[in-house]
Amino acid sequence: MAKQLGFFIDQNYCTGCKTCQVVCKDKNDLPVGVIWRRIAEWAGGSTNRYNGAVETTAFAYYTSISCNHCADPICIKVCPTTAIHKGDDGIVSIDDGLCVGCRLCEWACPYGAPQFDSARGVETKCNFCADFLAEGKEPACVAACPSRALEYGELSELQAKHGTINNVAPLPDPSITRPSLVIAPSRNAQPSGSTDGAVINPKELV
Amino acid sequence: MDTQETPLVIFTILAQLSVGAFVINGVLHVLAGRKNGQAKVDKLSDPALYAIGPIMIVALAISLAHLGDPLHAIYTCENFGRSWLSREIVFGVAFAVGAIIFSVAHAKKWFTPMLLQLLAGVTALFGLAFILSQGMIYVIPTIPGWDSWATPVSFFITTFLLGGLAVGVDFVVVTTIPSMRARHGGDTTPLLYQSLRWISASAMVLLGVQFVVEPTYALELSSKGGAAAQSANLLLFGGGSVFIVEMVLFFAGGAMVAFFLHMIRSGGPIAVAGVTGGGGATAVGLSQRAMVYAVGTAFVLVLASEVLGRMLFYTANVRIGF
Repeated sequence: MAKQLGFFIDQNYCTGCKTCQVVCKDKNDLPVGVIWRRIAEWAGGSTNRYNGAVETTAFAYYTSISCNHCADPICIKVCPTTAIHKGDDGIVSIDDGLCVGCRLCEWACPYGAPQFDSARGVETKCNFCADFLAEGKEPACVAACPSRALEYGELSELQAKHGTINNVAPLPDPSITRPSLVIAPSRNAQPSGSTDGAVINPKELV
Repeated sequence: MDTQETPLVIFTILAQLSVGAFVINGVLHVLAGRKNGQAKVDKLSDPALYAIGPIMIVALAISLAHLGDPLHAIYTCENFGRSWLSREIVFGVAFAVGAIIFSVAHAKKWFTPMLLQLLAGVTALFGLAFILSQGMIYVIPTIPGWDSWATPVSFFITTFLLGGLAVGVDFVVVTTIPSMRARHGGDTTPLLYQSLRWISASAMVLLGVQFVVEPTYALELSSKGGAAAQSANLLLFGGGSVFIVEMVLFFAGGAMVAFFLHMIRSGGPIAVAGVTGGGGATAVGLSQRAMVYAVGTAFVLVLASEVLGRMLFYTANVRIGF
């Protein structure tokens, strides 16, 4: 069994098509308003004319994010009921039978992973498609990505293969929760906390 | 302005008022009881004391409206070792139970005075631990608008400010309404004025501190950029002119407390004339009524300001990341 599962996202291949988001909703039968995997579009730069020539520094890149099954999950710290727990394989999951729906985990998670299901009155989140993993299948998002921008696996192996970068804007400072996440940054990637760009699809991330 | 968290606004304000009133009542008993005897202080403070437990129960009941699945509330003390929210709930329930047992025991004259004092002390500590936990819930590193010393500090200021003024209202009302004077009155005038002087003087200090803390913190946030600046923007402008209204109400409340303090200090003889008859025998004088209006208005102004401030607090919930 893996010690800590994690995701890898290659920003150079992600086209922001949202197939991962849609297939996640479909596989997990998520209601309207609940999105376990979301895609942020970070963009910035400007376009100017100089002596008749057009020069642009405009850029945009996508980051597909679900729960990062952090090593130091802030959701577990703030949860009053112990409904959120970390399994032996590092997967962070929520026990519906304990969740009181106080939404504190949702407020605290800087990746927006816990999503409130208002019909059931409980928080829900990515469980790494634990049922698929048990059957030897890939998580739905990874399997469906048309440009093969997503991978999953043992975090240490992903880091050995792709490096340890996970502090790319608009992601937060990774030292806060230590996400099990590796990113191959876009050539335009900016560091976490950068204010030179902005999330330009905020309404899709609610 | 976000009104989604209205249950939490009402819960936190009522709970802080309850704890503040209990603690201030206790402090007044310790300070004034030595000089005047506990029985006299009891006469003034009993109505407030009996209201504290039920208000806290109502506050806790309202907090359930915030939960998605209130039936699971029973599990909320499970993470006491790590979660401030668990601690808040445990200490809040302990305070409510303590306050109710204390008021019943006090009314029925159950325990020895020593045991009662011990119970009051432990209940007050539960209350203070509750306020600390309530403040610390919001000190979350991913929400810069809340992640500050200013959060628990302003929660404590609200606690003592509203609690103190509520006790002040109780003291003045008890000695003004004829039926209550008959039951609780007696010659409590010097004690009344002494207590009111302490309450209004400390309220002035707390109002001054809060008046500095809140705008200072908002300005500090606005200089940080990112989510912090968004929080500051929401805090200052999120409700249109709500922040300005809050500050005006707060300032007006402060002015009313100052006026009240002035009444007590300078209007002593006239005011005393209204109440020296004691026991409800003498008609209540104009000054006494004016005192009720003054302290009552101060309480309402500060309460309204605190409610608006708390609404803005929840509106400023902007986390880092996405």
